[in-house]
Amino acid sequence: MSRTTSRPASESTDVSARISPSRRSFLQASFLGGMGAAVLSACSANDSLAQQANAGDNKNYIAGDGSVTEYAQTERKAPVVIAGRLFDGTAVDSKAWAGRVAVLNFWYAACSPCRLEAPRLETLYKEFTPEGVLFYGVNIRDREPEAAAFERTFGITYPSMQDTDGGVLLAMTQYVPPQAVPTTLVIDKAGKVASRILGLADQSTLKALITDALAGK
Amino acid sequence: MKDTPIDPVLPRLGVPGTLRWVWRQLTSMRNALFLLLLLAIAAVPGSLFPQRPVNPSVVTQYLKDHPGYGPWLDRLQFFNVYSSIWFSAIYLLLFISLIGCVVPRTRAHWKTMRSAPPRTPGRLSRMPEYGTLALPEELGISADQAVRDAVRLLRRRRYRIHLYDAAGARPSVSAERGLIKEIGNLAFHVSLIGVLVCVAIGGLFGYRGQKILVEGDTFVNTLVGYDSFSPGANFNPSKLDPFAITLDRFQVTFDRSSKAHYGQPIDFTAAMTVKDKPGAAPVKQTLKVNDPISVGGASFYLVGNGYAPVVTVKDGTGKTAFSGPVISIPSDGAYTSLLVIKAPDAAPSQLGFVGFFLPTALVNDKGISYASDPDPFNPQLNLNSFYGDLGLNTGQPRNVYTLDTKNLTQLNGRDLKAGGIVLSPGQSYTLPEGKGSISFDGIKRYVGIDIRHDPGQGGVLVFALAAIAGLICSLFVGRHRVWVRTGTHPDGRTLIEYGLLARGENHRLPAEAAAIRRLLQQEWKVPDEEVRTIDTKAPTARAGAPIGETKTFPTMSKDW
Repeated sequence: MSRTTSRPASESTDVSARISPSRRSFLQASFLGGMGAAVLSACSANDSLAQQANAGDNKNYIAGDGSVTEYAQTERKAPVVIAGRLFDGTAVDSKAWAGRVAVLNFWYAACSPCRLEAPRLETLYKEFTPEGVLFYGVNIRDREPEAAAFERTFGITYPSMQDTDGGVLLAMTQYVPPQAVPTTLVIDKAGKVASRILGLADQSTLKALITDALAGK
Repeated sequence: MKDTPIDPVLPRLGVPGTLRWVWRQLTSMRNALFLLLLLAIAAVPGSLFPQRPVNPSVVTQYLKDHPGYGPWLDRLQFFNVYSSIWFSAIYLLLFISLIGCVVPRTRAHWKTMRSAPPRTPGRLSRMPEYGTLALPEELGISADQAVRDAVRLLRRRRYRIHLYDAAGARPSVSAERGLIKEIGNLAFHVSLIGVLVCVAIGGLFGYRGQKILVEGDTFVNTLVGYDSFSPGANFNPSKLDPFAITLDRFQVTFDRSSKAHYGQPIDFTAAMTVKDKPGAAPVKQTLKVNDPISVGGASFYLVGNGYAPVVTVKDGTGKTAFSGPVISIPSDGAYTSLLVIKAPDAAPSQLGFVGFFLPTALVNDKGISYASDPDPFNPQLNLNSFYGDLGLNTGQPRNVYTLDTKNLTQLNGRDLKAGGIVLSPGQSYTLPEGKGSISFDGIKRYVGIDIRHDPGQGGVLVFALAAIAGLICSLFVGRHRVWVRTGTHPDGRTLIEYGLLARGENHRLPAEAAAIRRLLQQEWKVPDEEVRTIDTKAPTARAGAPIGETKTFPTMSKDW
């Protein structure tokens, strides 16, 4: 009778004897398992981008989530050096902006958030022009007639640079990369990027950012 | 036996015991094979349902077409099969199982490699390959000399050897070859794990995006530049290497010489200008299918192409509302291409057009135009027109390749009095009701490019090659042992016996035995006639020449 009880016992010791050398491999395996879990759980990062990738809506631009980034004085990068050309042919050089606050807005006519925010930008442009703030649009896709039609529709009076050759966009990547359409950048009096809005700009937020830059913050 | 239990009491496994049991189950060969089978089955839905990583818009359409069970399939991750929880679970278990198998085997093999080949078994005649040689006394080769000769010969044949009983009357050499077979086998399995890790690194830190570039347009590698973009799980948008690429010219060559393949594309060549960083000098490069250009850590591939008719739309006030190339999406080999034109800035009302671009238009007997050739011999635009609200002013994303006609009124169409709009290059058409006009100014080509950054790519290549090399080793290298024992017969002859044993099946063992025999014969210049060839299988051979009678049965090493 005692045999019946002893047999499974001996089996179990047998099992442990064969398993114990692989404890280290178990640790390694659990490390890989953990990594796998990280792969799975990491789906939550980059939510806005991942959602857009999965949406399959063929909207043809990467939208921003409206996030605002303000750069502290110490973390601002070198003064922006860009050169572009307005739709009317006038050359624009960032050197001429010295001592003034500038707002750059990356847009194109068929992008629907750009259309929604255009009147807000125009309002702020009118409001801050007396204080010497410069507004420039940077049109990344359109030719002159489309841009002109857009400006007619929304009564835009601030100028835009034609950037289908990507010159301004490429130069900007050295400072603060625009990461969505539209992207709005506020450049301080020293020519450094002070803040960035990815996506649709909220009028009061942008106003506060411009006011801060004017105040030298 | 008073304390006899009524029921057999099984010992409790406890938590560590249960874990051990699970671990053992997982690392068993049977379950590894089962998981492999399960992986194959789990991959099947990936080819039955549209997959988001391949084309998210097809999935969106599928969900629209199947409102009943579509969302359920989505919840069960049937549109992201290869990154779904259940698919990942299977392959992660499989790889854990693989590690659980590889690690103990590596340790065992390491020990084998560091230890000497096992002691010569007592009865070599029991080996599957066995033979003897007898050296006449007048040759003057002692047993000691003979075993040292055998060592030299076997060493030259790249055996790892060990001499046993060197000082005894019957010295023997134990030799082993082909340990690389197991190394290859382990390398194969480790490489598979390496491939998985590299793929995971690519999935974590890589990205992939698409952009359509019309001739003359420039793409800048920022999120602003992309049409669509899929980030890796740990992707950081500020890590995009800033480079700019311009499509200067795109050429497609269609087959004009063969009858069977007439009009099929045979070559796509995109002339690009690449600036690898801000302020860098532009470099001219050629982009072809399956021949990507690499810039700053990313590679871009030519994955699509088509025509972009250049169109000008004037609105009701006579001002230009839209002017430029419009992407048309080819739907067949003759480039019958669908296109949508949106003029959101037309006044007094927004204008929209939807229709076809035909590179070489012909009219069939029902009066309907169709595309007959992919080259633009007789380009034609066939359009319907709409006015009203395009829905672009709300800030909501809109599909650029479809026209949502919900808030639009149709102006032109086959069924309307005004008819459809048919335009050849240079022609223009005035819309009814004074809504404006449209003109077809010319044609440009565009390319669809896929921009990818996969930091694990190089590792995948290295590990894949290592896996193949390991597999070749493990399949083509035979592992076997050779023993040679010598001794002096009372009549003065020096007797030599040898035996070979393969691990697993090795059909080259007889050939190796013959080769060793030949080497030994050449060494001692034993003519063939004087040698009795002995086959182990023949019972007479066993009685023939063994040097000494050993009572013990040949004992093999445990891991043999």
